[in-house]
Amino acid sequence: MTLMGVRDAVAAGEVSAVEAAEASLSRIDAHDGAVRAFVEVHAERALARAREVDARIAAGERVGALAGVPVALKDNMCTSWGRTTCSSRFLEGYESPYDATATKRLLDAGAVIVGKTNMDEFAMGSSCENSAFFPTRNPWDTTRVPGGSSGGSAACVAARMVSASLGSDTGGSIRQPAALCGLVGVKPTYGRVSRYGLVAFASSLDQIGPMTRTVADSALLMNVLCGVDPHDATSANVETPDFLRDLERPVEGLRLGVPTQAWDERNHPESTRVLREAMEVYRGLGAEIVEIGLPRMEYGIAAYYIIAPAEASSNLARFDGVRYGRRAALGRDEDLAALYARSRAEGFGQEVQRRIMLGTHVLSSGYYEAYYLTALKARRLIKADFDAAFASGEGGPGVHAVLMPATQGPAFRLGEKTDDPLAMYFEDLYTVTANLAGIGALSMPAGFAKGAGSDGEDLPLGVQLMCAPFDESRMLRIARMFERETGHGERGPGM
Amino acid sequence: MTDVVRTTLIVGLEVHVQLATRTKMFSTAPNPAHVSFEDAAPNTLIDPVVLGLPGALPLLNSEAVAMAARVGLALGCSIATFTKWDRKNYFYPDLPKGYQISQYDLPLCFDGGLELPLDDEGARTRRIGIIRAHLEEDAGKLLHEAPGGAAIDHSIVDYNRAGAPLLEIVTQPDFRDADEVVRFAQLLRGVCRWLGVTEGVMQKGHMRFEPNINLHIELAGGRVVKTPIVEIKNLNSFRALRGAIEYEAAAQVDRWREDGRVMGPGAKSTRGWDDVRGVTTAQREKEDAHEYRYFPEPDLPPLTLDEGAIARLREALPEPPHERTRRYVASYALGGKEAAALTEDRAVSDFFDACVEEVVRAGVGREPAGKKTANLLLQSGAKRANERGALISDLGVTPAQVAGVVSLREKNEIGSSAADELFGLLCDAPGVEDARALAERKGLLQVMDESALRAWCEAAIAANPKSAEDYRAGKQAAIGALVGGVMRISQGRADAKAAREALMEMLGG
Repeated sequence: MTLMGVRDAVAAGEVSAVEAAEASLSRIDAHDGAVRAFVEVHAERALARAREVDARIAAGERVGALAGVPVALKDNMCTSWGRTTCSSRFLEGYESPYDATATKRLLDAGAVIVGKTNMDEFAMGSSCENSAFFPTRNPWDTTRVPGGSSGGSAACVAARMVSASLGSDTGGSIRQPAALCGLVGVKPTYGRVSRYGLVAFASSLDQIGPMTRTVADSALLMNVLCGVDPHDATSANVETPDFLRDLERPVEGLRLGVPTQAWDERNHPESTRVLREAMEVYRGLGAEIVEIGLPRMEYGIAAYYIIAPAEASSNLARFDGVRYGRRAALGRDEDLAALYARSRAEGFGQEVQRRIMLGTHVLSSGYYEAYYLTALKARRLIKADFDAAFASGEGGPGVHAVLMPATQGPAFRLGEKTDDPLAMYFEDLYTVTANLAGIGALSMPAGFAKGAGSDGEDLPLGVQLMCAPFDESRMLRIARMFERETGHGERGPGM
Repeated sequence: MTDVVRTTLIVGLEVHVQLATRTKMFSTAPNPAHVSFEDAAPNTLIDPVVLGLPGALPLLNSEAVAMAARVGLALGCSIATFTKWDRKNYFYPDLPKGYQISQYDLPLCFDGGLELPLDDEGARTRRIGIIRAHLEEDAGKLLHEAPGGAAIDHSIVDYNRAGAPLLEIVTQPDFRDADEVVRFAQLLRGVCRWLGVTEGVMQKGHMRFEPNINLHIELAGGRVVKTPIVEIKNLNSFRALRGAIEYEAAAQVDRWREDGRVMGPGAKSTRGWDDVRGVTTAQREKEDAHEYRYFPEPDLPPLTLDEGAIARLREALPEPPHERTRRYVASYALGGKEAAALTEDRAVSDFFDACVEEVVRAGVGREPAGKKTANLLLQSGAKRANERGALISDLGVTPAQVAGVVSLREKNEIGSSAADELFGLLCDAPGVEDARALAERKGLLQVMDESALRAWCEAAIAANPKSAEDYRAGKQAAIGALVGGVMRISQGRADAKAAREALMEMLGG
């Protein structure tokens, strides 16, 4: 069942919240041994929560928009129960004393959180293989990665363990795994969703967003998640529309921009095919497709891999072994520097260490101007490119959304890119620009790479939409037009 | 050895002021620099933001911004309409996030300065430039012994102070001796107390000083060498500030003779002050201590202040204490010490100003009004304030009552000791009684009636015939004892001047 389906069934009394939770937990029991989407399942707590919801419904009390719906959280969102590990040895036993704002909003809406999902350590990676605990596998082909960093959140929805999950997206960490697992994944405009309680990777890029099977489910979660938060100074004080209200209403006179950069020669031919087909679908729906230039998009990866590590090197400095988390056992003659060095060496995996070193380097005196300031300049230019694309009249083509691939290809095999960090970084080629520009974006199911799996399975592919800041409502309508026309997201991995 | 003809001391000062906001710089945890929380048990003024827990985010305390801007304005600074926050990255156990949120290249206050009085009257001044004043958060405290002083084999941290708002003020190197620096530090403390941004209790660490010191040594032949700059860290008393500067002023000549090192890149060093031995000591520095990797704080949007808001802060700014001191000296012919005593506390100074206005309204000229009011408050007022451990402004006497006493005295309707007594009675009187009415009721007014005066004089002569004899014999000074007798017999109601004249006349002077 979809999120909306479960929600409506619980509200109508056709299914109790406890039954919904039990169904979710038994799916997890049956399939998570193979998929390994969860780092922690909170079965008893989920059932207790579900019983509360049922009692409230029985008592005729008002319940929230997600009453009794099982959902999963990426393990970088703080929960005041269980552990919040970011799939890192450093935070292996860490218990947060408080709930993230996103957690709190889900709970206030009546959702039943069944567990925390696996991820690339501190959200650094594109395959979930950088988890310090274990890799998560793609339910469509368990020899392949689910994508990352929100790989666990994608896999558990694709495997129908829950109907929705939350991920976080710093450079594509919601959209790329959504694409690789055949889901809808939304990265809201920067500032739409509070980051309070999201363990920071790169503060100026991080956003929390929904991962679901349908556009409507994402819209419903957006209704719950979005809104200004007094605990997050970067959360935007803008009105949160009802993302569901006009969802079925097609956008009239739709103009979509497809950048010339969408046809990168490294693209998998099936990715190119599904993009062409998507353009045809939209044309068939009466849309005008215009070619646009995003000339500075080519600096995206370089700028991203300077800015994100720079911020990360500072954000992760608090993991020093003094107050919480991993603390190395020191010998008698070892000093404070040893405490820092050893705790961090023991607690952080290779990719996290690599990015901390990169970030430290680009912020050092003598390199700051050449790397960090230049990257900020590139970031402003990328933003200007998008501003121009969305501007109408003489300012630009006035597109309602940009259409481009979500990834260069379908899910790759475990281990295929682990020895080649740069190849892994290019997984973000089409996604980082939305984070750098701070705009909204989503990935949606767009078809399959036929027989591309290790045993000849079809592997899902996605296309991406990007919208002007805070224009997610229209972007979701544009996505819904495509979904209704194609039904691409309906097929599951057959688990 | 080269002959030193003359040395010139060059000092610039950095001052950290803990702002007494209710909550911390970037969190809603209580601030230990606020009087309500200063005695909190260790590690109780904390929350996820203060401790730098995963996922916690900073929130700007606008009260701290307003306080900082007010200090900046009082120091003649411009206030930035656009500023931002930066992270200063370094590892230390008292720094929970591994970075301090500060302001690097766009401070809230900049390009200021003031005329520092170099004597009590403010007759001589020196212009002290203020380079900048910026906001940042304090660190916690790393302790190497247990609370109570017991020895431990490890270190412990108290995070109460972590995240407390700090204003860092940086002056130009405009000071030329230790006395100027201390005068400035005291003036700054006065201004900050005046504005209510800190209690300014040095023992509680409300202010910390870090002077940057070097010498220009003029040698025979006219060559001038500049010694390397020495920064003295964390001085928390005026005595230590003076001691450290005076010590360095002498020590840098010796150091230069020994090693010949002069000012230049990499030559700056950091020293601490040993209060017991009265010397500065070299501090161990890590090679990379200055690699702070500053970059803009992505968790906080830039801060914009509109010109209107800045103008309103400027208009609401009270006349600062040093300017008020100068005005008292100029307008009321007060001595520098008297004027300074009246401006030590803003409440007292405001009370004095209100009293003077009342006295002027009662028909006394402005200059004598100021002078007489100051005398009354600094004598009768200060005495009672001392006895009660209260401020002169909190004795329960109103400006109208003070004006009543001053004008009674000014019109010679009351003697000086009776005026003091009346002031004391007004302090203790339950309601607010008119000064004259109370004086009448208590019989403190001078009696101007000729016949009563003569009767008192006769009684005084009768009681002390020896003095009368002496006076008649030409011993002028003997009249004093007789005047004293009149005052005693009249219980202070006689006018001493009139009594003296009457006695002289009666004794055939």
